[in-house]
Amino acid sequence: MAVHSSSRAANRVLLVLGLALLAALLTLDLASVAPNRILPGEGVSLWAWLGPWSASVWAFPLLVMAFAWRGSARALVLARVVVVAALALLPWVLAAFAASRVPDASSQARVTLGAGFWVLLFLLLMCWVELHARLRHGLWLVLLPLLSLGLALTQGHLESLALIREYASRSDAFHAALRYHLLLVSAAVGLSLLLAFALALAMRRFPSLRRGGFALLSLIQTIPSLALFGLLLAPLAWLAARYAWLGELGVQGIGWAPALIALVGYSLLPMTRNSVVALDGVDPRVVEAARGMGMSPAQVFWRVRLPLAAPVILEGIRITTVQAVGLAAVAALIGAGGLGTFIFQGLGQAAMDLVLLGALPILALAVAADSLLSALARLTRRQPGREAR
Amino acid sequence: MIAGLAPSLSRYGRGLVPLLWGAGLVGLLTWLPRAEAWFRWLAPEAREVIYPRDDFAVLLLNHLALVGVASGLAILLGVGAALAVTRPWGRDFLPLASQLAAMGQTFPPVAVLALAVPSLGFGALPTVVALVLYGLLPILRNGLAGIEGIDPAVREAARGMGMSPGQILWRLELPLAAPVMLAGIRTSVTVGIATAAIGSTIGAKTLGDPIIAGIVNGNSAYILQGALLIGVLALTLDSLFEAVTPRRG
Repeated sequence: MAVHSSSRAANRVLLVLGLALLAALLTLDLASVAPNRILPGEGVSLWAWLGPWSASVWAFPLLVMAFAWRGSARALVLARVVVVAALALLPWVLAAFAASRVPDASSQARVTLGAGFWVLLFLLLMCWVELHARLRHGLWLVLLPLLSLGLALTQGHLESLALIREYASRSDAFHAALRYHLLLVSAAVGLSLLLAFALALAMRRFPSLRRGGFALLSLIQTIPSLALFGLLLAPLAWLAARYAWLGELGVQGIGWAPALIALVGYSLLPMTRNSVVALDGVDPRVVEAARGMGMSPAQVFWRVRLPLAAPVILEGIRITTVQAVGLAAVAALIGAGGLGTFIFQGLGQAAMDLVLLGALPILALAVAADSLLSALARLTRRQPGREAR
Repeated sequence: MIAGLAPSLSRYGRGLVPLLWGAGLVGLLTWLPRAEAWFRWLAPEAREVIYPRDDFAVLLLNHLALVGVASGLAILLGVGAALAVTRPWGRDFLPLASQLAAMGQTFPPVAVLALAVPSLGFGALPTVVALVLYGLLPILRNGLAGIEGIDPAVREAARGMGMSPGQILWRLELPLAAPVMLAGIRTSVTVGIATAAIGSTIGAKTLGDPIIAGIVNGNSAYILQGALLIGVLALTLDSLFEAVTPRRG
């Protein structure tokens, strides 16, 4: 969307978001402080923490609203400076809060992020998205808050956060789960890419396969994940009992085997659909021209068809990867491990920060996979000498 | 899509497929409690092989009620938001809404479900809230795609014919956008059924209960009973959507 003709008028979206930010700062608890892991925490609002000094925090939304009121492109650039600064300062505000409320970092006391913090973060991100849609350039600015967060973490300023305490008490298990999650997702995506590509080629060869093939794949896609895991359990257990070598490989009714099969099953529909669309979409005249230049069929495929189809296939890989990151979390229920383990452990113990320890990295992985792969797809699309789709 | 499995059936009427799946669901409900002999074979050592805690019909109705309430709210909010940001007075919010709908869908439903618990506690409420929040995204996204996809010339022609904005909305935009919106609702309901099943882990009473209980107690008979019911339920509703979706060509 280009910069609107209305961009010189006040930006109403930012005005609304700024008001919401103020309301959240005034009414919601920023965080709560608990003496240990079991006792519930006591909520602390911004005013309860800083008293009249809270006004220095209110300045941020007020500034955003002032710039939004001006609405000119320059004012929006300034508003973005304020939003990025607020996001970058957030970890340090938390650090200061933790230092004032839990002076002895080695004690059991911990700070749990409150509703106010999450609402604040969400609204600031919405401001960022709105400003990015209006201003386009400057995506790299996202890095500043991330760097700031990384710095605060590595310097140990956030140690008394309950989330960090949960991490610290099981950092080995966390890293193992993270590696395992990534392994499961990449194995599923890789396998389904191979299978889907073979399927797509077969469907192009034998068009009669298409209807039934896609009907079957969408049937699999429709079955809820928990149910599919359950349905795989009995057959796999039977196979493992019947053939000893399968059991030695670790194939069981629970564990990685049903998880991987289900993940591949769900991935096949988007992957095959995009591969077929991608290969169908290659202009026959281009292929003809390549043949005319004396390319062998293999050369035509590898040097013309595949590169031309790559952006749409990459789109399929993106959809599949994001989906698999989330589904692998459910697989933790059937003992497949991964980051979902912490979610379900945390739910079982009513330890919400343990839930966060599983859910936040999963969210981050999904968002990272989404942005990386869509950037890659844009890159392949932009190569010289190629028309945009 | 499901109709593709039975091309001869689809010729006689697509309404037949959801009826068949629905009959299968009712059949399962009546057969499962009597199928002890079959499930005994799956879990020979277990003390009980038919999930005892709740009647399957109760779980099914609960599951449907959760998804129904959540989907109803998600449709109201999603379609409402899509209409609001495409009106002249709400257009400022269009870029934000479409970005939000696109980005929100990268969030895994399980994570959304888990994140609802710290603020709302355990039970049906956080499940419904998570289902609504997550379910309105595909509806919003498709709603925007449907309305924005209408050829501006068509809208111009309607205005030229003297139609009021309200008439354009009800007689032109909504009917033209309906198929795309319906596809969004279908996605939303499919994800909702799956996520409600996982809602069992946060204390909602759904068809996921037998599966979770089976995993905890190592009873694969319970797991299979829950899985069969959820699977057939999802296929029934999906084929229902397939049957009511207008077909092109």
